[in-house]
Amino acid sequence: MSVVPPALVNIFREEAHERLAEITACLLAVEAGSPPADAVDLLFRQAHSLKGGASMVGFTKVSTIAHAIEDALEPARTRGALAPELVEALLRVTDELRRAVDGEPAVAPDQAIASGKSNGVPAVLPSGTEPPTVLGSRTGNSVRLATEKVDRLLDSVGEAVVQRRRVAHLIGAQVIDADELLKEEIDREEDLLSELQDAALEMRMLPFGSITGRFPRAVRDLALAEGKAIELRLSGVETQIDRVLLDGLVDPITHLLRNAIAHGIERPEAREHAGKPRLAQLILHAESRGGQVAIEVRDDGRGVSSELADEAARRGSLADVLAEAGFSTAGRVTELAGRGVGLDAVKRQIESLSGRLEMDSAPGQGMRVTLLLPVTLARFNVLIVERARQRFGIPLTSVTEVVAVGAASTLEEQPHIDVHGESVRLSDLARVLDAEPTELAQAPPALVMGDARSRVAIACDRVLGEEDVVVKSLGATLVGAPRYLGAAILGDGGIMLIVDPEYLVRNAVRSSAAVRRTIDVPLPAPAAAPRILVVDDQFVVRELERSILDAAGYRVLTACHGREALEAIAEDGTFDLVVTDLQMPELDGLGLLAAIRADPIHATLPVVIVTSRGSGKNRRRVADSGANAYILKEEFDQRVLLETIKRLIGR
Amino acid sequence: MYLQIRLKTERYALSLEHLIEVVTLGEVTPVPGAPVTVLGLCSLRGEILPVLDLGRLLVIRGAATPRRLVIVADGDRRAALAVEDVTDFGQLPETTEAVDSPLLRGGVIVEGALISVIDVPAVLGSTDGSTVSEPA
Repeated sequence: MSVVPPALVNIFREEAHERLAEITACLLAVEAGSPPADAVDLLFRQAHSLKGGASMVGFTKVSTIAHAIEDALEPARTRGALAPELVEALLRVTDELRRAVDGEPAVAPDQAIASGKSNGVPAVLPSGTEPPTVLGSRTGNSVRLATEKVDRLLDSVGEAVVQRRRVAHLIGAQVIDADELLKEEIDREEDLLSELQDAALEMRMLPFGSITGRFPRAVRDLALAEGKAIELRLSGVETQIDRVLLDGLVDPITHLLRNAIAHGIERPEAREHAGKPRLAQLILHAESRGGQVAIEVRDDGRGVSSELADEAARRGSLADVLAEAGFSTAGRVTELAGRGVGLDAVKRQIESLSGRLEMDSAPGQGMRVTLLLPVTLARFNVLIVERARQRFGIPLTSVTEVVAVGAASTLEEQPHIDVHGESVRLSDLARVLDAEPTELAQAPPALVMGDARSRVAIACDRVLGEEDVVVKSLGATLVGAPRYLGAAILGDGGIMLIVDPEYLVRNAVRSSAAVRRTIDVPLPAPAAAPRILVVDDQFVVRELERSILDAAGYRVLTACHGREALEAIAEDGTFDLVVTDLQMPELDGLGLLAAIRADPIHATLPVVIVTSRGSGKNRRRVADSGANAYILKEEFDQRVLLETIKRLIGR
Repeated sequence: MYLQIRLKTERYALSLEHLIEVVTLGEVTPVPGAPVTVLGLCSLRGEILPVLDLGRLLVIRGAATPRRLVIVADGDRRAALAVEDVTDFGQLPETTEAVDSPLLRGGVIVEGALISVIDVPAVLGSTDGSTVSEPA
């Protein structure tokens, strides 16, 4: 008798749960009247594979039950359809199966492992079926990895990246730029390392769907017990989430679903009375939102009472009101979900994952709970800014644009600036973060952030550039520090805090900027001003060029790469000139130029290429490309850009 | 075994089971908005650690000038404790004296001087909860 290695048992359990989830999903679909075409075969295959795997790792009970399921399915296989009364029975059996999977193996057979034959169950498989599937075959070439191993790999890769930046920093940008060979080698190394890092980061991620398998069944059972008619809809299951976060999300999500079923959703009669469809909708949705993952649990039930809604409006947060123990929207606490106490626990658990809980509800119309989770260890593209002699990183996805603060006006005792005709509240990064503020420079740069409802401009001293950084958590000791998503180590070895953009937007209100009043009110561009399309994949370059041209009175549109530029030109053919970068994803500058020259309508559109000093070969390609002018990024100067444009379009 | 450290004129000790290493205090990046007991962040071989002001945590009067970082751990929690100096390393008798701080386990008298034993898990947990909450 050999002992099955624990690792193998774990793999079996993990796989068995996946199979159970598929069996359950299939049974629920049959019950709901929309069975997949091959439901019976699918169930049979899953039970069959489960039986094979179980017998190999000595889970005799699992193997026996799975075999019983096969037997039970036999008549249905012949008929090609599943009798409805069998579904309920099979669902009960899967519960039994689940318990058996989590239990101990009865025996650890040795022959079975060697031969791949089932153990302890008479071979009464219907003729023509394949022998028990060998463990892991369904997952093809995939390898299951322990999280710690992935983390160790990530740490090493992260260190290698930091080390590379440190070396580049020591050699110095000027030395590197002066030596083409060295520059190429260093760029190549950077590319390789970032590929390696991407690959390692991906290993840590799993789709949201890897934990949702259990929910349809749980919802069905609870709905039955509560006498409610509910359809659970899952969406965004492909959203990639850090697996450590996923582990911590099962309990909070289960609790929120229970809450919705026990308290939020009304009985069918009550819903009909309220003019709603009898079948309630319960939606579990995941999506990535600019460096964060948002998970929503939404129902169309009764929502909170109007008193609670009023109190929430007064206190500014429904989540805070409800999380105070004792509140229950249903006015009673069932054994299924004591709403107050439970929600408090959910809130704490989400916060321990450095996340945040948001709730909104319209009385009578339902409730939405959103779990916002920063990815604990992820790569962010950040804009690096300096304020009060300290560098901060701000996720680029959250910054709409960078503007130079001209004249600020005061509205409701708050400074506001004009951004494209909209009055936007101006705040100071140092004050929002509670850093010791130094005096802001004349016309400082400001980051425009937030959505239409809550747009703010955050002033800082300087915008230093953008960079891809690996964000490390601030550690358990600083968990809950709400201002930051984490920190990153920069090339010079310094640490940069990564600011939580949502925090900035939410708190910008209470900390306006002390900006020195200036009188240089930028003149609005006259309608007849020439239109220029700026194309660059780097946000900083794009914004720099845009602001120069904007200030010179041109009307400017931007695109991130050649493909986007072509779309813009096709949509609106009134551009007078294009300023483009060379190296870009999707379609590079030369490709863009070739496409413009090949287009009979736009063939004569002047194109200015702004490029880094490249190798000899590259320079020749640029020279032969038919661009109207070249400007070297190393020698970039706003005067040169403006004079070049003026020379080309005469204005 | 215990590591002995000095903060102003007072002597403290911490158990080696929590000690990772002692390093010279380098650059510390401030964390605006963090509790006053958090001096900032430091990096140690690619890892980012919070730097705690041990003197302030233990309410020691007078401005101490930290020169060393004592890196400690309790399970997943790790932090760097800023101290003036590391003075000794060796055995200590069982604590006999009661001390009036939740961050200390007790005290021992050695050659007429009081050495207080630091409760590392309590120190690492000292920034939990209220102190890092959002401003009103």
